[in-house]
Amino acid sequence: MKPKKRIFSTLLSMVLLVSIALTGCSGGSGEKKAEESAAGGDAGEKTKIVVWIWEDAKNVIDLNMPAFKEKYPNIDVDLHVLAQADVYQNFLIAASSADKVPDIVNLESHRLSQMIETGGLLDISDKVAPYKDKMNAYKWADAMKDGKAYAMPWDSGPVVMFYRNDLFKQAGLPSDPKEVAEQLKTWDDYKRFAKQLKEKTGVAIMADSKTKTDGTIFQEMLWQHDQWFFGKDGSVQVDSPEFIKIGQYFVDMMNAGYVNEVEPWSDAWYSSFQQNKQATIVGASWYDGLLPSLIDPKGAGKWSVAPMPKWSADDKYSSAIDGGSNLAINKNSKHPEEAWKFIEFMLGNDASQLKMMEGGLFPSLETTYQDPVFQEKVPYFNDQPVRSLYVDAVKNATPITYTKDYPLANELIRNAFAEIFLDKKSVEEVFKKTADQLRQKTGRK
Amino acid sequence: MQNLYWKWQFKSAPYWFIAPFVICFIIFVFLPFSYSVYLSFTEWHGQETKTFVGLANYATLLKSGDFWQSIVNSVLIFVLYVPIMLALALIFAACLSTTWMKWTGFFRTVFFIPNITSVVAISFVFLLIFNADQGILNQILMSLGLFDEPIRFLETPWWARVSVAILVIFRWTGYNMILLLGGIQSISKSLYEAAKVDGANGIQSFWHITLPLMRRLLAFCTILSTLGTFSLFTEPFILTGGGPNMATTTPVVLIYNESFKNLNMGYASTISIFFFILMMILSLVQLRLFREHD
Repeated sequence: MKPKKRIFSTLLSMVLLVSIALTGCSGGSGEKKAEESAAGGDAGEKTKIVVWIWEDAKNVIDLNMPAFKEKYPNIDVDLHVLAQADVYQNFLIAASSADKVPDIVNLESHRLSQMIETGGLLDISDKVAPYKDKMNAYKWADAMKDGKAYAMPWDSGPVVMFYRNDLFKQAGLPSDPKEVAEQLKTWDDYKRFAKQLKEKTGVAIMADSKTKTDGTIFQEMLWQHDQWFFGKDGSVQVDSPEFIKIGQYFVDMMNAGYVNEVEPWSDAWYSSFQQNKQATIVGASWYDGLLPSLIDPKGAGKWSVAPMPKWSADDKYSSAIDGGSNLAINKNSKHPEEAWKFIEFMLGNDASQLKMMEGGLFPSLETTYQDPVFQEKVPYFNDQPVRSLYVDAVKNATPITYTKDYPLANELIRNAFAEIFLDKKSVEEVFKKTADQLRQKTGRK
Repeated sequence: MQNLYWKWQFKSAPYWFIAPFVICFIIFVFLPFSYSVYLSFTEWHGQETKTFVGLANYATLLKSGDFWQSIVNSVLIFVLYVPIMLALALIFAACLSTTWMKWTGFFRTVFFIPNITSVVAISFVFLLIFNADQGILNQILMSLGLFDEPIRFLETPWWARVSVAILVIFRWTGYNMILLLGGIQSISKSLYEAAKVDGANGIQSFWHITLPLMRRLLAFCTILSTLGTFSLFTEPFILTGGGPNMATTTPVVLIYNESFKNLNMGYASTISIFFFILMMILSLVQLRLFREHD
């Protein structure tokens, strides 16, 4: 037993030593390479740029990489895939230590202001100037600070209603997209549909959680109704009458049992779609890519698309926005010019943006909307030309700024709903408390 | 001269031996800690300039409901799991040290495996087990007829705390069992033999010999668990995300949220430092109690 143990421990320590030596070496050579490429850039040789990006974003970038390599053979692109949350955390650390890597970072619109605030992003106002009028207006709101632009818009998330035409039909509801659009105009109609669906088929109209909602539906309703956590003057709006009314609607839907209770984006949530537990997703255009791939791969032909419901029929805007991302350049990047070439190639020209739409990312670049591909029928959606609906939606959404306090506001509203459902408190009471917390934590009015 | 050199060597040798640790400690623990102390007096959202705000963060902290809520949460989770975990660990340890028990090596390994398995992996598995509608735990409970409605384990405050407690019990019972097993094995066999001669059965000798002699070790395990509970992070973070409505937000989850979600690095440092001080006081008190017991 003893000699065996000794052999084992010797082996173990050798393995450790070797691995230390190896990692040491690889670290060294990596640095060397970076230096070489930095030196090479000046000599007109190959330059390497590093992009921090998450998986599905990389997948669509990959569609354009062959064309990019052809046009810029001297730029090597390292698409470094990280989990979404890690992109932010790691960039925060990179920025505060003035690290020159990454050159480019992928950022969602709802966390963009927060990241600009940290001062780690390069001012690219001059570079994006030609694109100012070509991109969806709302994207610039979060990409700017004090009149300077720090990011280039990539994709937008205009909100529509994805619905199951087969379940609607079973419940005796209209199932043709045109008829649905005519009869389901407001959230009141939506509730009426929900009731009939529940009574006739037992299916819920949507999925969300009482205590662990991600707040998406609620925020989409706010956005469409031209309301937000913060008013145009920056003041906290959470205790405004409109806010409370919309919150009450969500609570009523939940309490009436029209909602399948499951935490959004959990495993149970994904599988609930294949189990026919709910009939609609009021969600952003990027579900276009997620539905056939991750959510309901076998659901081809069953899904259709209609405009999202409005709060009231005479609302000025008919749609909302959820998310979308951007590319930005690290302030300390050694290759800002090459980085910009990459960004401009991917996001600034129609051909690349249209290619990425195949992967389900709806372009923020408005010049692409003329393309016939937007009128094309999509087989998964029962041969409906759904993309034209996204265009209509994005044109009819009010530009709202997420602001840097959005992540906090989102967390607080999630807790607020949990409190309303768990302690059976009134929406008004809890929202007033939440508004005060938000004011105290952000220093807003 | 030679003698002096040798003397110096002799005296300085211990310092050379501990130098690697001390240097690592200074670089990786002491300096970051000092920097945190500095940060706790500033307002910093990740940008280049930090604003010195003195004790303002500490004033906010003392007034903040969130921090005290997180302390209360930890206390509740502690109460939920520590007694059960230590009782289980002690019973297992006592069983494994009996003479009639077979396969003790196998059982020791089995009980210890959860502790060395990746906590992230375990948490994800428990996430599936605790799922309200499809989780196996609810299906078992309902098929046994214990409950009619599925328990919403991760979506109601109390059940969420219980879920975290169950996960912690699963992970740490084996570890505590090993500690206690060492203690039990160091108890002299002659005491048990004497008890047997006096006519005591197994349970009586456990109650009157094992338990009193293990008190010191049990206290030690309790201290470890106290510190462990207050700094719980991965388990609640993956299982419940600190929710619902902050019911499982431990101080460390709160620090994470304030720093990486809300980018309040200064305030997050303040929580860390204050939390450190609280923990230090708590440990000192516990050590004192533990000393007086002997």
